[in-house]
Amino acid sequence: MSAWAATPNDNNRSNLQKFFHNVEGYGRLGYSIGGTAPMGMPAEIRKLNKFILQPNVSFGADLIKPASQHWGVLAGIHFENKAMHIDATVKNYHMQITQGGQTLEGRFTGKNDSHAVQWTFTIPVQAVYKFNDKWKLKFGPYFSYVTSCNFDGFAYDGYLRVDDPTGAKVLLGNTDEERGNYDFRDDVRKVQWGMGVGVDYFFARRFGIFADLNWGLSGFFKSSFKTLDQTLYPIYGTLGIAYRFK
Amino acid sequence: MKLKLNKIVVLVAITALSTLMSSCFKEEPLNAECDIEKAWVHVSNVDAYFYSPTDSLIEVISTEDKIVFNMRDGADITALAPQFVITDGATITPASGTVHDFSNGPVTYTVTSQDGNWSRKYTVECNRVSHYTTAVWNFDFEHFELDPSNESSYYIWHNTLPDGSLGNDWASGNAGFKLSMKFALPNEYPTSVLEDSYDGHGVQLVTRSTGALGQMSKKPIAAGNMFLGRFNVTKALTKTMEATEFGIPFTQKPLRLSGYYQYSPSTPFIDKNFNEYPDRIDAGDIYSVLYINHDRNGNPVVLYGDNVLSSDLIVAVARVASVNETNGEWVHFDIEYEYRKDIDEELLKERGYNLTIVFSSSIEGATFEGAIGSTLKVDKVRLTCETKE
Repeated sequence: MSAWAATPNDNNRSNLQKFFHNVEGYGRLGYSIGGTAPMGMPAEIRKLNKFILQPNVSFGADLIKPASQHWGVLAGIHFENKAMHIDATVKNYHMQITQGGQTLEGRFTGKNDSHAVQWTFTIPVQAVYKFNDKWKLKFGPYFSYVTSCNFDGFAYDGYLRVDDPTGAKVLLGNTDEERGNYDFRDDVRKVQWGMGVGVDYFFARRFGIFADLNWGLSGFFKSSFKTLDQTLYPIYGTLGIAYRFK
Repeated sequence: MKLKLNKIVVLVAITALSTLMSSCFKEEPLNAECDIEKAWVHVSNVDAYFYSPTDSLIEVISTEDKIVFNMRDGADITALAPQFVITDGATITPASGTVHDFSNGPVTYTVTSQDGNWSRKYTVECNRVSHYTTAVWNFDFEHFELDPSNESSYYIWHNTLPDGSLGNDWASGNAGFKLSMKFALPNEYPTSVLEDSYDGHGVQLVTRSTGALGQMSKKPIAAGNMFLGRFNVTKALTKTMEATEFGIPFTQKPLRLSGYYQYSPSTPFIDKNFNEYPDRIDAGDIYSVLYINHDRNGNPVVLYGDNVLSSDLIVAVARVASVNETNGEWVHFDIEYEYRKDIDEELLKERGYNLTIVFSSSIEGATFEGAIGSTLKVDKVRLTCETKE
């Protein structure tokens, strides 16, 4: 065939080859612990009674393109779950019991059990500083798309003052019929972002461990959501194993 | 060395995480509530002031801002010093235990919360109970208003006392309905005013849906109800049966209860889990109960939804045999009190009996069974009592 037609193709391929010849590929499998929490604990939250570990697996692949001897750029795609299940004691905490568009709002004193789930596709874009073959530091933003989510819970073993602390006092018990349930899943923000920082340690040529911290900077809920006084941010740390493909 | 670094990484990660988790708890905020929870009057000779010593202590429910001590006819109320249990840390003015003259009417107290942001006003009244000797009590449901303490959301009624003054003896479950349906209009409540009734205004009781919120807590309906007594909304979502406190002290012997009603049952009949029962037809309920308001140990007793027709303390019951479809016509009822025990005249005078009269649009409404839309209309109720020459 015509040589001139083949030439740019070859050039392209060699450009691509040139670009990718030193790109490193990584697979990651991790487990996350964290919470969807306000920045700074409001005084109305008095005590954490339970923190129940959730099936927060994350797996994904990263590519790192070295730019100099120490610096490089990381991009990847992760599929991960950021879930939390906590039980807290609150005092005079502003809350809303909701179901099917009906609400009962007021100040609650008692116990609160809440459960958040969000499965996301996350794309990290990070600067990498490589100390040596074993140690790497990573820093940069991430962007997440929420594929499925939940935020629900119930207030129990306490009382609600309807509207404000001078309103009718209504006791809540601890059975299905006596609790105050809420469900805010429809108010979860679908596209979220934040900053990530992490460290990789490779103890063998192909195998390593990593620790990442992903700090959400967009609120967990849409900005139109006013039920909770505080904006909640997903803040999760991930520990896991990494595999270097080449 | 390798291992050490490894450990440090893990340690740093764990420290960072646990710092996030606990985020350090702040100091406990000061209390925001400002309730009078209990009120009592301590006098050396309690029998000279109160019919029953237990009348000197009042458990105030959260929605009440009027505290009424019912006292003997001749009690000296010019220098009494009510005392209060208020929310922890709150302050009350005038102070608990200060002496006031109650002969000029109620005294107003203000309670301010510990955090200083909230306050409530209460009036305390010493009511010298009149002993009526009326042959027939009239309940015409002509005196009603939108509850002034509740952003005018539902109606409350005042009964006309024999001396012409207005009492606060009728109660309904409207406050409980409001918990799930706060945007309902006054005539969308289970208990509302009936215009163009048998004679002037009457009362309209409709079994209502409590919507998704009520269904979630297995209380999918609220029967329209009206009764002599008190509704304690604090228990509306938990000890539901105890929310309806049936009965007011009554010092006459009731003989007959009469009046007019209309009833139309709706369909389908459902239970608390929203199961439908095509074979069951809803019915209304009209009854009255007279009972002894203290137990053997002298503790005050009030009957609730689950024992108002079964308690051992019941002395007499009058109940319309069946309240069924009336096809839009007013039906007259006139029933006799059936006495199970003899009346102790002395105890009667000493306010030892409670009387309730109950109307409900669904006979099993207390257990959340009935049909949404079942309607009971009531008017011109008469209570005939024994009169002594």
